[in-house]
Amino acid sequence: MAELISTKLDPDSHLLLDQPLLRLPHELLRKNLKSAQRHIEIANKGIATSIQTLTTHSSPADTLDALDATLLKAQTLKRKLKALHAEEATLHRQQKARIAHLQELHDIPTIADVKYDVWAQTRLDRLLVDYLLRQNYLASARQLAEAKGIVDLVDIPVFEECGRIEASLCGVHGEYGDVREALGWCAENKQALKKIGSILELELRLQQFIELARTDEMDKLMEAIAHARKHFVGGQDTLYGLRAGGVLAHAPDTMVEPYKTMYAPTRYPYLAALFLRTHHTLFALPAHPLLHTALSAGLSALKTPTCHSAHNPHRGMFSHQHSSDKTTSTMSRPSVPPLLTDTPVCPICSTELNELARGVPYAHHTKSYMEDDPVVLPNGRVFGRERLRGLNVKLGVPEGRVRDPTDGLGGAEWAWGEVRKVFIL
Amino acid sequence: MDALLTAHNTLTTHANLSTTLTTVDHLIDLLQQTRDNIAGPPPNTAVSAPLQIAKLKGPIRQTFEKVEEDLKEVNKGLNGYQKAWKEKFKGKDGLGMEGSGESLGGGGGVGLGLGAGSGVASGGLAGQKGLVERAIAMHLLREGEFHVASTFVKEVSAQSRSRNSDGIEENHSWLDDFTTDSDNVDMEDEHLEDDYEDGELYGPEVMERGYLQRKFAEMYRILDALRNHHNLAPAIHWANIHSDELGARASNLEFELARLRFVELYTSSKSDPENMDDADPSFSGPIAALRYARTTFPSFHPRYTHEISALLGALAFSPSLPTSPYHTLFSQEPTRASIATLFTTSFTTLLALPSSPPLLTTTNAGALALPVLTKYSHILSRTRSSWTTSQELPVETPLPGSMNFHNIFVCPVSKEQGTEANWPVMLPCGHVLARESLEAHARGKGRCKCPYCPVEFRVEGGGKRVFI
Ligand SMILES: [Zn+2]
Ligand SMILES: [Zn+2]
Repeated sequence: MAELISTKLDPDSHLLLDQPLLRLPHELLRKNLKSAQRHIEIANKGIATSIQTLTTHSSPADTLDALDATLLKAQTLKRKLKALHAEEATLHRQQKARIAHLQELHDIPTIADVKYDVWAQTRLDRLLVDYLLRQNYLASARQLAEAKGIVDLVDIPVFEECGRIEASLCGVHGEYGDVREALGWCAENKQALKKIGSILELELRLQQFIELARTDEMDKLMEAIAHARKHFVGGQDTLYGLRAGGVLAHAPDTMVEPYKTMYAPTRYPYLAALFLRTHHTLFALPAHPLLHTALSAGLSALKTPTCHSAHNPHRGMFSHQHSSDKTTSTMSRPSVPPLLTDTPVCPICSTELNELARGVPYAHHTKSYMEDDPVVLPNGRVFGRERLRGLNVKLGVPEGRVRDPTDGLGGAEWAWGEVRKVFIL
Repeated sequence: MDALLTAHNTLTTHANLSTTLTTVDHLIDLLQQTRDNIAGPPPNTAVSAPLQIAKLKGPIRQTFEKVEEDLKEVNKGLNGYQKAWKEKFKGKDGLGMEGSGESLGGGGGVGLGLGAGSGVASGGLAGQKGLVERAIAMHLLREGEFHVASTFVKEVSAQSRSRNSDGIEENHSWLDDFTTDSDNVDMEDEHLEDDYEDGELYGPEVMERGYLQRKFAEMYRILDALRNHHNLAPAIHWANIHSDELGARASNLEFELARLRFVELYTSSKSDPENMDDADPSFSGPIAALRYARTTFPSFHPRYTHEISALLGALAFSPSLPTSPYHTLFSQEPTRASIATLFTTSFTTLLALPSSPPLLTTTNAGALALPVLTKYSHILSRTRSSWTTSQELPVETPLPGSMNFHNIFVCPVSKEQGTEANWPVMLPCGHVLARESLEAHARGKGRCKCPYCPVEFRVEGGGKRVFI
């Protein structure tokens, strides 16, 4: 068979899956810079105030105290900046490793090159670690990244933090979650969240308000009102003020919507999902694992109608029975040796992906794609003549006779004269 | 990439916080000096303290102005990088810099509805967590990452237990196949020694628990011996046990292993304990090789006759082998690497699994198909049309021949692919059409003519289903 396309590698179109790779360290560097700016602002103000309090009449002791306070602020600033600088260096190192990884692709001429295999393997490892991180399988993610030596190419700390906050919001086993960590995160990213018009902080504040309103204690209710005054004033916040008022007017056991839902514990999973969405948007992370994107495209591109056909001799090896009854899960082993063909096993036909690929569309083809010199056996199976001959030699079938190699030594045997040429246009 | 590298260099060389830190250091020095002056012995103290403070204000202001400049420099560096980045990934706005991060999501973007949860393809992978994770577990096993696989299975089990207790139903029944015992999922243990003798691959209809990890553990143990310990014995043993199945596939594995073993014995000068009686130690290698050859080679298929005689011919040249015509037979290193590959292929084939990891092949195919799919989905969204066939991709996603695993039949009349419902049918002349095309062509006729040649045939029983 001829090659369907040239195997020349076009790195630029190939990089579709790799964009976020270079994006995240950059976003984190921006965040780092913003933190530096914030610390500097705080120090600047603090130092100015300390100095300002001094007048010509200040006693030497007061002056020294003020100077010490100033020094302390400067030193605190230095410490903070040092930490940020270290973080920056880590991010630069990651960035460098990632650029180098993409550069490697640019240096590979064709996808037939062995170097491409190595590169693609690393890409898959990256996609897998990313998937594991996103599903909160953190130990697996870390182990795989370390085993493959790709720690700088994946974003473990980012997802660890994200997963921790998400988990704290979710609460365990239907219990109420905790919004404090998420609020801390909001404070850290205040500017950026404002820029994208995020409602996350308001929603979290509203949840705090709901928790205060949930109690029947007067002082808590007073606290709730103070809370609302502090957080729900002005701008789009007025909407939240109104909602808060409504919550206050209804007891926790109300049947009136939307207040019934607002009191419900299901608001926590909602907050967790909102946090996740906000987090990924903020750091320009794809909403879904890139593994899904790569797989769904790949499964379809490889899939043929044959892959799930009942007449496909390859399929069904170790086929995994899926049924609602979990106890029936078995992998059946073939009772005969796998078929004898010299073609590699199709990844879609293989037990590893067959079930997963069931729902995706198969590839579109506009013309037939056949082995050279196709012939048909009396049982209807089509083979390339040379391949059929070769397989029969290996099977030890006597001269002039032919078997369907799919059936190995168990199938019928015919005379070669019964093999017919078939014309596939 | 060069622009990106340059931009990155700017960041590491000067557009970073190091200058800011230096500036802050100066500030601290300045403050410390002033404090030392004031705290120091008179006459500097009381009298000049206010003056010292007043003198401080200007430099402090300047310091923070300088810091601001420093940060501007960092910001400029970041902007430069962003620009280079944007330039590099221009036109890939499926995941673009301005993207909301949701562009890959269920609806639009790359997914073509293949992605997650869109109604177009019922098989969106987001709903297939169990199957995706089963594929990952199998992948980790076949990659020999037993430790990671074991952690993964534990984490998936723990998470699915907690989700189940939260009332979320998920199909993770595959986990059962991957855990030998709830308290023993450590696949690194060398408790598989006896399994090594178990040559039976086929038999019981039901695969026992932990089957695959035992098989892959066996594979890696053999590969480890082969690659890292120059020990062919486990591989040879395995090949002997599976001799019939390998033979049925006309695999060269057994012979290649024997050849390698022969070469190994030949070139080893160490005395074999069995050969202690040999007078000249320089002949011990060739003699051991000869003994091995006599017991092993006769059982091989006649098609190896030529290679076997070449190997034995080399014996005559001992010990001046390097100058003999046979020395190429004895360069071991490439052979060792290729035999590891050959062994892996044979092993996976006998398990009815593809020899290269399906996840790798699939993500590679995905990377090739994505540009086409993205472009198409952009056109779709621009023209506000939609794609309705969920069975078949709407555009061709060409792949290299190495990713072609099946013959493909496209009906020359209807241009539709042969499927389970619309299968290929061969006419008496040997031309093949899709069933539906033939039905439409022959409708209401008793006899008809092949659309591609002059042959006429009776419609009744005129077409025979073929499997392509
Ligand atoms: Zn297939
Ligand atoms: Zn014809």
